[in-house]
Amino acid sequence: MLQYAVKRTLWMVPTFFLISLVVFALINLAPGNPGQAGGLENVGSGAAVQSKSVIIFKRQFNLDKPVLVNTRFAMTRGDVRGLVATANALGSTPTPAQRIAAKNDLEDGGQYLVRHLVALLDDADPAMAQLAAQYLTSAASLALVSETAGDPDAARLENRRREAFNQSFTGWACPGELAATPCLTDARRHWQGWWTEHHAAYEYTPAESAWVFLTDTRFAKYWYNLVHLDFGISAIDREPVLAKVLRKLKYSISLSLTAILLAYLVAVPVGVYSAVKSGSRSDTVLTVVLFLLYSLPTFFTGTVLLRLFSQGTPFAWFPVGRFETLPQDPTTLGWLVDVAWHLVLPVCTSASVALAALSRYARTGVIDVIRADYIRTARAKGLEEPVVILKHAVRNGMIPILTLLGGILPVLVSGSVVIEVVFTIPGMGSFLVESITSRDYNSVMAVLLASAVLTLVGILISDLSYALVDPRINLD
Amino acid sequence: MTDAVADDPTWGQIIWGQFRRRKLAYASMWGVFGLFLIAVYSPIFISNKPFVWNAGEGIESPWLMTLFNRSTYENAIDIFFNSLLFPGTALVLPAAWLWRASAVLPGRSRVARRRRIAGAVVGIWLACLLGILAFPVQTSPVNHPRVEDRLTAAGTPPLAIYPPIPYSYADTDVKLSSQGPSLGHWLGTDAAGSDVFARMVFGTRVSLTVGLFAVAIYITIGTLVGAVAGYFGGRTDAVLMRIVEVVICIPSLFLILSVAAFITERSIFHIMFIIAAVAWTGPARLVRAEFMRMRDLDFVSAAKASGFSRTSIIFEEILPNALGPVLVSATFGVASAILVESTMSFLGLGDITVPSWGQILAAGRNDNSWVLILAPGLAIFLTVSLLNLLGEGLRDALDPKLRG
Repeated sequence: MLQYAVKRTLWMVPTFFLISLVVFALINLAPGNPGQAGGLENVGSGAAVQSKSVIIFKRQFNLDKPVLVNTRFAMTRGDVRGLVATANALGSTPTPAQRIAAKNDLEDGGQYLVRHLVALLDDADPAMAQLAAQYLTSAASLALVSETAGDPDAARLENRRREAFNQSFTGWACPGELAATPCLTDARRHWQGWWTEHHAAYEYTPAESAWVFLTDTRFAKYWYNLVHLDFGISAIDREPVLAKVLRKLKYSISLSLTAILLAYLVAVPVGVYSAVKSGSRSDTVLTVVLFLLYSLPTFFTGTVLLRLFSQGTPFAWFPVGRFETLPQDPTTLGWLVDVAWHLVLPVCTSASVALAALSRYARTGVIDVIRADYIRTARAKGLEEPVVILKHAVRNGMIPILTLLGGILPVLVSGSVVIEVVFTIPGMGSFLVESITSRDYNSVMAVLLASAVLTLVGILISDLSYALVDPRINLD
Repeated sequence: MTDAVADDPTWGQIIWGQFRRRKLAYASMWGVFGLFLIAVYSPIFISNKPFVWNAGEGIESPWLMTLFNRSTYENAIDIFFNSLLFPGTALVLPAAWLWRASAVLPGRSRVARRRRIAGAVVGIWLACLLGILAFPVQTSPVNHPRVEDRLTAAGTPPLAIYPPIPYSYADTDVKLSSQGPSLGHWLGTDAAGSDVFARMVFGTRVSLTVGLFAVAIYITIGTLVGAVAGYFGGRTDAVLMRIVEVVICIPSLFLILSVAAFITERSIFHIMFIIAAVAWTGPARLVRAEFMRMRDLDFVSAAKASGFSRTSIIFEEILPNALGPVLVSATFGVASAILVESTMSFLGLGDITVPSWGQILAAGRNDNSWVLILAPGLAIFLTVSLLNLLGEGLRDALDPKLRG
């Protein structure tokens, strides 16, 4: 048993890796990817140079890297020359979309472009050489590292070093419209001197290429940070995402757990009752009612309940939305009452979904057991009917419904999106919708991964509890 | 072929007989069919184009002329249902007559004849649909009600016969915004001044299309994956099931919402594909289990011994026997796809250009209007209940233990 539990837990690691890969790929490769997130929406076709803040934003969130594999080290001088020509409409007439794409590629290429750009300084076309000098300034500059994670002092020191490095070649670019020959000669001299000193860092051996191919990508960077429990920062308020998600999780879990508890408390007696009265009119009515309940969309139930009982048409019994009122009452009991008061409607809505399925399982569970031989034996030896049902039948009939517990938690967490939005509870679900609409992509990833972990744990719990409760199952 | 064999009930006939006994499910089937008819024939009752129109330049029928006009019906969904309305209806009637006429034929040739009739109907209709889609009509839209008002004011009222509800779901009129139910607008108007009843009825088209197409896509993917995994087993099975496991672990609604949100200008077709991309694991596991159970049975061994190819063993021998549970899960799947789509549009992450029930409900929530909450809520509830009852009935009919 223990061996099985450990094995299953260890299996969760590769599964989690694959989950993160799938989620990451889906979100990053969807048309209109997060590269257009946050401050990047106003990239107009007319803008000759993107604002510096956009570039910093992209680098900060690793959006300048390719998604899954990096092949930029394999670019040739011809490729880079083509990009520069397209981005600046030199000798050809590209469409605006092509120009923007080329411009983005040049910006994102960073260090991989340096050696080709240095070579392009000697290009026969002076305009090309001048543009190469301009692109070199941004391509050679180093991105700053995050100062919020890890050792902040070391990070600050490293950033100072990088800033000094970046400063060293400002002013070498040859700005302006027309190629001024003396300026270009200066730029050439500066950069070639710089190149003899630094070239080793920008040339790739096959081993380095292979390393870069897999590691200098958005996914690799993301996973590297993930292993260090760094989910990145929110694009909205620059707050670490993990702390935010954990705070939100508190609301969602308490909502879901209460809902599950309520659903079980109602579903088990209802299921047992209909199983015992199986085939009677009350059983049929209960089955149909629960079945219809199952077909009610939660956003409808929630909206109707909210309007009926808290918005004053006709009743104003419960507070409108939110998890708690401002903590006017500091005592624990008062706070609990306050929270309970807020949770009545959302919990009822949430429980109504699980109720139908649970009571159905309870009913079939008990019906299966009631026909078993040992129940007939219990009756035959003269036990009272309630004892037979409650002590013998229900106990065994509840095995399947107990093991559902693990599977229900993630379903409710997922379903909480709607309930939290309708009742304006600041939990994971409404946080997901918020992050989605503001394209805060680190937060979306964190919510998805957190809920995937919940699901994994839920499945593990339900498998283990099944083995624990049912001695017929042998795992080893 | 002797008559005795021809008259033996087939598997389909047994299931159908079982299904018809379940009154609630049988009624639900007709209910779903009714919804489908509403979806197809809605332009006959609701359209802002007059059937007949004469403003002094001869009699014309704007209603018929704009049936496939992409500036009147912007959505491909509408074009699809309109094609069922016009060539569709015209094809079904003679086909039904031929179908009945073929009843006198003996067993096998009757089946062959009927198969040919069905093939011809679907073929001609598909050809028409492709033609319509390939050559979109796009003329500048004439606002007939407004032109009529102008002409009436000028003292020359045109001859115009409108459908009973002369509005389009896309009509907006700021002067009429957020009105309660009245004789002209049965369910009132929303904040943009659109007729809610028109939006509700055309919403049927959206819900049914999303449900049916999403399910068709994912059933196909899932069945293929499940068949391959179950038939071959071993390493193929291990790899495919690992993928399935990964997809199952991501809460589906979260994933659907996140992917949908990152698509700029998402259309209703994106939504179908996203739902399908998440939901295919269900049928995959189902079909895999059926294949594992059946691949060692005698009829498969017999087929192998007779030298059938692998493809024909998988698709012609085993798959037809595994389709029962798939059909049941597809029926429940349509219901849940409709729920997912309406949830998405309720949260504002659906296709904003189509009149979806979830979107109307969200508008009702913002406007605090009972009509706008209850009408779409009950419509979703009704549709989902009918489909669930139908699925339930099918499941019972397919269960040999319940056969009485």
